[in-house]
Amino acid sequence: MNILEISNLTVRFGGLTAVNAVSLDVPEKQIVSVIGPNGAGKTTLFNAITGIHEPTAGRISFNGAEACRPFRVATAMMLALIGLIAALSALLVVNIEPLWDATITANYVYQQPFSWVKAARAAIHYFDEQLGQRFVVPFIIGAVTGLAGAYAIWSRSRRAPEVAARVGIARTFQNIRLFNQMTALDNVLLGMDSRLGTRFWHTALRLPLYWREQGESVQRAMEILRFVNLIEDAHQLADNLSYGHQRRLEIARALAMQPRLLLLDEPAAGMNPAETQDLMKLIHNIRDRGVTVLLIEHHMPVVMGISDRIAVLDHGEKIAEGSPTEVRSNPRVIEAYLGKEHGDTSAT
Amino acid sequence: MSGAEIFLQQLIIGLSNGMIIALIALGYTMVYGIIELINFAHGDLFMLGCFAALTLVGLLGVDHSAAGSPGVWLGLLLMLLLVPLFCGGLNWLVDRLAYRHLRDATKLAPLVSAIGVSFVFMNIGLLWGGVPMEVFGFGRAAAAPKNFPELLSNANLLGQSNVQFSRKDLMVAAVTLPLMALLTWFVKRTRAGTAMRAVAQDRLAAQLMGIPVDRVIGQTFLIGGALAGVASVVFAIYNNTIYFQMGYRAGIDAFTAAVLGGIGSLPGAVLGGLVIGLARAFCDQYIETRWTNVLVFAVLILVLVFRPSGLLGASAKEKV
Amino acid sequence: MATRRRILFHWSFLLVAALIPVVELVLPGHPHIGDVLRPILIMAMLALGLNILTGYTGLLNLGVAAFMAVGAYSYAILTCDIYPFRLGFWSATLLTVLVGLTVGLFLGLPTIRLRGDYLAIVTLGFGEIVEDVLKNLDSITKGTEGINPLPSPTVFGYQFRPETYQPWYYLFLGFLALLVLLNRNLRRSRVGRAWISIREDELASSCMGINPMKMKLLAFALGAAQCSLAGALWASFLGSSGEPGNYDFQVSIIAVCIVIVGGMGNVGGVLLGALVIIGFNSIVLETATDFLKAHQLISSTNAFTAPGNWKYMLYGLALILMMRFRPEGLLPSKQLKAELHPEEPHAPPPAP
Repeated sequence: MNILEISNLTVRFGGLTAVNAVSLDVPEKQIVSVIGPNGAGKTTLFNAITGIHEPTAGRISFNGAEACRPFRVATAMMLALIGLIAALSALLVVNIEPLWDATITANYVYQQPFSWVKAARAAIHYFDEQLGQRFVVPFIIGAVTGLAGAYAIWSRSRRAPEVAARVGIARTFQNIRLFNQMTALDNVLLGMDSRLGTRFWHTALRLPLYWREQGESVQRAMEILRFVNLIEDAHQLADNLSYGHQRRLEIARALAMQPRLLLLDEPAAGMNPAETQDLMKLIHNIRDRGVTVLLIEHHMPVVMGISDRIAVLDHGEKIAEGSPTEVRSNPRVIEAYLGKEHGDTSAT
Repeated sequence: MSGAEIFLQQLIIGLSNGMIIALIALGYTMVYGIIELINFAHGDLFMLGCFAALTLVGLLGVDHSAAGSPGVWLGLLLMLLLVPLFCGGLNWLVDRLAYRHLRDATKLAPLVSAIGVSFVFMNIGLLWGGVPMEVFGFGRAAAAPKNFPELLSNANLLGQSNVQFSRKDLMVAAVTLPLMALLTWFVKRTRAGTAMRAVAQDRLAAQLMGIPVDRVIGQTFLIGGALAGVASVVFAIYNNTIYFQMGYRAGIDAFTAAVLGGIGSLPGAVLGGLVIGLARAFCDQYIETRWTNVLVFAVLILVLVFRPSGLLGASAKEKV
Repeated sequence: MATRRRILFHWSFLLVAALIPVVELVLPGHPHIGDVLRPILIMAMLALGLNILTGYTGLLNLGVAAFMAVGAYSYAILTCDIYPFRLGFWSATLLTVLVGLTVGLFLGLPTIRLRGDYLAIVTLGFGEIVEDVLKNLDSITKGTEGINPLPSPTVFGYQFRPETYQPWYYLFLGFLALLVLLNRNLRRSRVGRAWISIREDELASSCMGINPMKMKLLAFALGAAQCSLAGALWASFLGSSGEPGNYDFQVSIIAVCIVIVGGMGNVGGVLLGALVIIGFNSIVLETATDFLKAHQLISSTNAFTAPGNWKYMLYGLALILMMRFRPEGLLPSKQLKAELHPEEPHAPPPAP
């Protein structure tokens, strides 16, 4: 079963075509690497999968469905509701002064009891008279603005990154993007947060349900930190960690999201051989836990050592795909990396 | 006055005020284009320029001259030379002292700093109004608005027409239009201008090309400030009242104009300025004066929500 | 996840604050410290509201005075007897908070997609629009006169009076303590984490499943609600809604100063900032002015001699210097954390 199916994906930025008709199927519970020279479009591909860039053409389907917010009946109702609220607000805004005069000022005598029924009748009477400019026009303008605005915001956020995150796609970044002012533990907890369900007031007033969930979360977070071998640094600020530890923390944070697909963008960058070995072991462990891993890497020993399949991109196009052995000896791949005149097949 | 005459009158007023707003907006957009800072203090710099102009008027004794006399022309010339110098220099100084060290800090730090500078400027304006000179009312009421003498006559150049077009309107156009042409030439054809555009596009690359980035940024502040200085002289002569809190309103109008036209775009700032000037004039006339400020803000919010790149600007994407 | 030491720290602060009016009684001359502290308490509440927006979520809001105005006017309309509502203290306050929530949501909606500096200018605009609207809708808001007089509240059966300030002091202190508690609880939870992650790196935050739009709106709603509460309490204390000009840009900037000088994102810092800034404004400036007047050093024709005329300059310099030398504020959040509990693990207390 393919967990991710990319068909003919094209991502264009103005005049630049970063990804050009790339198709890729990622089978479940495997480690697939995407390699290629710099500027080949690998990170753009990741960004398209996680919802950061909108595809110009083509389809990305995750678990058989597109990772975007579907337009359901509930959505339509919510849009209608927003339109209605906007319309009523517009109405209120335009009419508030005369309405107030008609209902309250006209009927209220200082410190005498006030009849709300009379006020309501006065309001209805006011609208009866004003039908036309002060009622219909603001109502329509408000409704249209509300609907248009809500729809614009909704449609722009259909494929937003948080949607991809919630269906089960997690990622790390080429340039580490940790939350530096938070501890390692907090970073991992944040990864978990989107799956927690504690109600607002339980959190604000620290009711027992909050404490229970908190305890469980911390326990699970610690377990993840143990899994990536960062348990001693749990209470260190992310800023203060060493580079290699920061990379591992990013992976831990992504794992906290309980993803089905994990995208790692150059996780071995800047690591020494010992750290690289540990990383490879870690990625294997992640795969063994049932998470599919899609990997961008330049470090060939890592790529050749752990990948089940490799796809090669160059100038936005996929130029090869196959097992490590197949890709290693593919002349087009060699040419892309080393240039036309070199026939050297050592791909390490 | 007939409907057409009213319209024409508001058109003239709107365009004249619009050109002043455009000059201030140019300063905003140049600084934003180069270091992505909304120079909150720019409007208050404009206010200080007005006070400087009034001080010059007092020192030169021009307030006692008849409108349009040769002494006045000389005074005008001096003002148009010295006040921009003052404003430009002050702006440059502020960059040097307050903003330069914050080049690499978070976005919020320079903005908050700019707010601080704005407050300092405002206080200077308040105290300046208390200077014991005749033009400032001998310092009796520092916070009160100050009257700027009529240096150009209000006589209608259109003769008996109901539509008023005076020397003041002419002066506004005569000063701002050539200045804008000069600025365009400077930015497009000179080395300094090209360096500014380079730094605005990619600061690191410009640095690697050997461009002295801090110096270029300083120059941008200088020129932006000078433009505000010119605007302040023109404004003072055109509107005849200055007060120490005027920078706030002028700043908002100019910033809205810059955003409307496309922040970072010089023609955009000019276009935005004219549009805002006209919008204000027409709102004053056809809706109600009390809603004009609200209208300007509404324009700002609508532009930022629906078309943040403005009319003539290009949108920027975040690199992941 | 409070540790014993931190809880003790906070309770002792509260105790000290609560004892001030008592201690005053035994001091010679009965200095009315509690009286002077009341505006500080209100401004602290306002700044806490701003802190949610700016300190936690990183949305610089230059128009919080608008929310305070909404709160003050709502409370005034609901309690003044020139209008038929005439609600009691608790119902009026609760309704005002709800109004604040709604206004915060409304004003936050257009801003959620805006970048930091643009957002700041737009919030500035909102401050201005609200002020203009309050001024122009004069048949409801009484324009520049304000809505007055407001009855002094009756809390738990006790009737407050304008002359005795002690009950007011305790009322404000109680509300402030409640807000401090709520804010701290939110900060150390997924809500606070989400806010801070948005401030640090909105894109990464959304890639982790956080919905930035929702969290920003929540920040706006809660921040506005707190500022409105501050406004309502202020109005009840003044006995009037005040006039729209009282809630102008200056007030917003003072709140910004408090948050920045005190320590962004740190409740303790904000409280310290309120003490420093408002204390300076009310106590130091006034004492200096009185002193200079007494020695006849203030001249009515020389603007330079009145200390009040240097206010803006000092606020401005405070902002510039803080940004230049100590942008994290006097009491920054992570430092405080490290100082107070270096190595303690975050374990929940035993279940009750």
